[in-house]
Amino acid sequence: MNTQTNRLALAAALALGALTGAHAQANRAEVLHWWTSGGESAAVKVLAGAYTAAGGTWVDDAIAGGEQARSEAVNRMVGGKPPTAAQFNTSKQFLDLIDQGMLNDVDVVAARNNWDKILPAPILNSIKIKGHFYAVPVDIHMPAWFWYSKPAFAKAGIAAEPKTPDEFFADLDKLKAAGIVPLAFGGQPWQEKVTFYAWLAHVGGPDMYLKLYRDKDAAMVMSPQFKAFLTSFKRLKNYVDAGSPNRNWNDATAMVISGKAGVQIMGDWAKGEFAGAHQTAGKEFGCFPGFGPKSPYLVAGDVFVFPKISDPAQVKSQQLLATVFTAPATQVAFSNKKGSIPIRTDVDLKGLDPCAQLGVTIMKDVSRQLPTPEMLVTPDLEGALQDVITKFWNTNESADDAAKAMAAALKNG
Amino acid sequence: MSADLRAAVVPAPGLGQDAIAERRHGVRRRPASHLPRPARIGLYVFLVTAALLFLLPLYVMVATSIKPMEEIRLGNLFALPVKITLEPWAQAWRSACTGLECGGIRTGFMNSVAIVVPSTVLSILLGALNGYALSFWRPRGAQALFVILLTGAFIPYQVMMFPLIRSLAAMGLFGTLPGVVLIHTLFGMPVMTLLFRNYYAGVPHELFMAARIDGGGFWRIFVQLMLPMSLPIAVVAMIMQVTAIWNDFLIGLVFAGHDWLPMTVQLNNIINTTTGERLYNVNMAATLLTSLVPLTVYLVSGRWFVRGIAAGAVKG
Amino acid sequence: MAATVLWVYVGSVLWSMRISVSSSRTLPIGDFVGFKQYARLFDSERWTLSLQNMALFGGLFIVACLAIGFLLAVFIDQRVRGEGVLRTIFLYPYAMSFVATGLVWQWMLNPELGLQSTVRGWGLAGFTFDWIVRQDAVMYAIVIAAVWQACGLVMALMLAGLRGIDESLWMAARIDGIPPWRVYASIVLPMLGPSFGTAFVLLSVSVVKVFDVVVAMTQGGPGLASEVPAKFIIDNLLVRANIGLASAASTVLLLTVLALLAPWFYARARASRNGERAARALRASAPQESAA
Repeated sequence: MNTQTNRLALAAALALGALTGAHAQANRAEVLHWWTSGGESAAVKVLAGAYTAAGGTWVDDAIAGGEQARSEAVNRMVGGKPPTAAQFNTSKQFLDLIDQGMLNDVDVVAARNNWDKILPAPILNSIKIKGHFYAVPVDIHMPAWFWYSKPAFAKAGIAAEPKTPDEFFADLDKLKAAGIVPLAFGGQPWQEKVTFYAWLAHVGGPDMYLKLYRDKDAAMVMSPQFKAFLTSFKRLKNYVDAGSPNRNWNDATAMVISGKAGVQIMGDWAKGEFAGAHQTAGKEFGCFPGFGPKSPYLVAGDVFVFPKISDPAQVKSQQLLATVFTAPATQVAFSNKKGSIPIRTDVDLKGLDPCAQLGVTIMKDVSRQLPTPEMLVTPDLEGALQDVITKFWNTNESADDAAKAMAAALKNG
Repeated sequence: MSADLRAAVVPAPGLGQDAIAERRHGVRRRPASHLPRPARIGLYVFLVTAALLFLLPLYVMVATSIKPMEEIRLGNLFALPVKITLEPWAQAWRSACTGLECGGIRTGFMNSVAIVVPSTVLSILLGALNGYALSFWRPRGAQALFVILLTGAFIPYQVMMFPLIRSLAAMGLFGTLPGVVLIHTLFGMPVMTLLFRNYYAGVPHELFMAARIDGGGFWRIFVQLMLPMSLPIAVVAMIMQVTAIWNDFLIGLVFAGHDWLPMTVQLNNIINTTTGERLYNVNMAATLLTSLVPLTVYLVSGRWFVRGIAAGAVKG
Repeated sequence: MAATVLWVYVGSVLWSMRISVSSSRTLPIGDFVGFKQYARLFDSERWTLSLQNMALFGGLFIVACLAIGFLLAVFIDQRVRGEGVLRTIFLYPYAMSFVATGLVWQWMLNPELGLQSTVRGWGLAGFTFDWIVRQDAVMYAIVIAAVWQACGLVMALMLAGLRGIDESLWMAARIDGIPPWRVYASIVLPMLGPSFGTAFVLLSVSVVKVFDVVVAMTQGGPGLASEVPAKFIIDNLLVRANIGLASAASTVLLLTVLALLAPWFYARARASRNGERAARALRASAPQESAA
């Protein structure tokens, strides 16, 4: 070969090498999150892969346990070594950080990608504070699904999914008569809280739900309707087994998987456990999102916030992350692995499992969307309400006293 | 002036001939039995029963760690595994997911070693120094300082996080290996000082006075006389510190920074999860693997452990 | 050295007290709200319960560990075979972190999953052991797991103390015809006073900071029944974003500990001062020893 061409080729190769070398650490992003189990890790790989494909370098900072990870994010910000992005829930958890001016906004990305148009209202209200976008949403989880074991239902003679709360109680009775634990339950305070607000949304109704969490209406809490609802909630306790206190939610799901129990009220992350046991929706287990065709769809989720860093390279990384996370292809692939549903409804449903497809379809009906309590109240008030709920569930406290305690918590919060 | 201050070694009071013989010749004479035969049988029954009760959780952990998940889901806790699998152990070590990476607890192993070794050495040295100063030199306010130190041991770490983070950040040590070693040393000081102070309280004051008359200063007496005598209690201190620092999670997480995260962070990532699935067999295997290091330390130094405290560490 | 200690411990405590009179939530804020956080603290049923639980747990845990540790040490000291193995068996719980062992205890004490169902399966249908799911008995379940973890260390401390007792003491007692149990009760126990003292301090620290075992076994449940102060503080720090309240709680906890320890410290200070005076007097009257 011609030495001239050789030299040219060599020069080109060197130049290319220099360029890629420079790019190797370009758009370096240290991402702090709490997704550490096998299924969650696969989901993170989707995000990291998409980011790398877009020219970024992903440095992973995983810390199991939501509170632990969030606290660590705050610690790092205080210590002057913040991550590029940190995971939080779609909630009020990061409001204090915004107030103290510790977060960067991503208005640029939001404007470019029309977030105002494509994101559902509950999420928009959580991430858009005082007109600026401070977080990028990555998924929607629904904490109030009903999961049931098909063999257990068959054994108890239940032909169809219940369409009303009364039918549900009747089905629970049938399961009990058949010697199956009707409701698989994990008696940890957070699970009691989730079951409470799930029941409130499905049985008390969206109006009552919003009056409690959005309006913090203490008068409504003292009304006879709410007290009747409290009694209905406590009625569920008759259908759980004696070993339910302290139980992990996965152990409760395991009871449904093995047919020992009939139903579990749990979020869509339970799909991971079913998948791990090689069960498929519609065959060994079934899922329904509430009672009747207009049941509310509770919207929870995860977001990433961007600590305040002035380095323009880091800001560029932050914006690239925000763009990549919300891209339709990333959303579908991520949701598939995570068990969640995408944050935008303009995506191809084909890759999603039946329960998720049902979820996306419901989300298209804006009237059924309902934000979870953590989007409406501060962590402090949510905790105070959780204390009231767990006491009511675990003791013989009357509905009257529980209502009084709840009203007091609302007034203080 | 005698160069070797150890020439005036006198055994500490309270030590019997047994222990002296032990120390000098390494010979161990067990005390003769004081109990009649039926009592001895009762003794063994009690000990064996207690041992079995103590081992019960270990049995559950080991059994769970070699069962496949299908068996675990059935919930027969005490049943022997129908199908034995060592896959969870392999997974725990090298392929369990801890975030984006799925490298098991192996990735943090060297970091943990890098944190534990200097922290243990430093905290023991400083504890010895403090104990020595408090016992013999009795500077003014020593008692008050000791009280403050001991009270500090009762405070949960989380309360001190913010001021410590800010201070370390101001010194440029936040998120570095020296930073995390410093924090471990500081938090280990109360108990270490307690151990060494009580140990030195058992050393007769005459010894110290003799050394001073011989012309020894603060450092010389410490290095040439006290440190060599402290081997037994140092081993005790090492066991306590290695266990505490090896199993520590919070301090390593907050202060070690991304590059030096200890094994316990990976362990936490494997075991703990909010909404992910839980592989109990891998969790148990990972816990057992992590505990092998402190257990090895106990086994290796177990003999000194007992002998060490004998030398007066526990005087209140 | 002294400066570092003072700055770390005293500084942190002072900072925490300062925050306890502010309205800090996720991040520390410098405002001043008087004793509002303390008022909220004492109003909190959860905090009161946590203090009661800590007292109950502390009493049972310390007594049980000291008693069992002592007994195990005495028995092992009797020239038993396999002492090394036995010692390791009783010490291994100390090596393991509670995150996984706590879960194992939760399973074992769960009536549906663990001991109760297994024993019932053997035929004893009336056997009940469901402390962990009962509001009134869950703390006892936690004591069991905590004692399992800690009494190995106490045993080792006691064993070492026993090994320091001279063999001639036993020989003299036998010559005098004193039965062994009386030797233990009247002579050995007092000589082990210092061992008990150190063990007591170490155990007390565990009691005040007890957190891991509660979180791993019951997460504070059922309901609020096994709430403990350290968990209350950490929950408010991390989960409820309520640093002001958490700081108030930790200040109250610290003051409680100080109040309980003050008599002991005072007694020790007096004893050591007396001991010093006596030793000085002794030295003054004894003949001078020549240095080697």
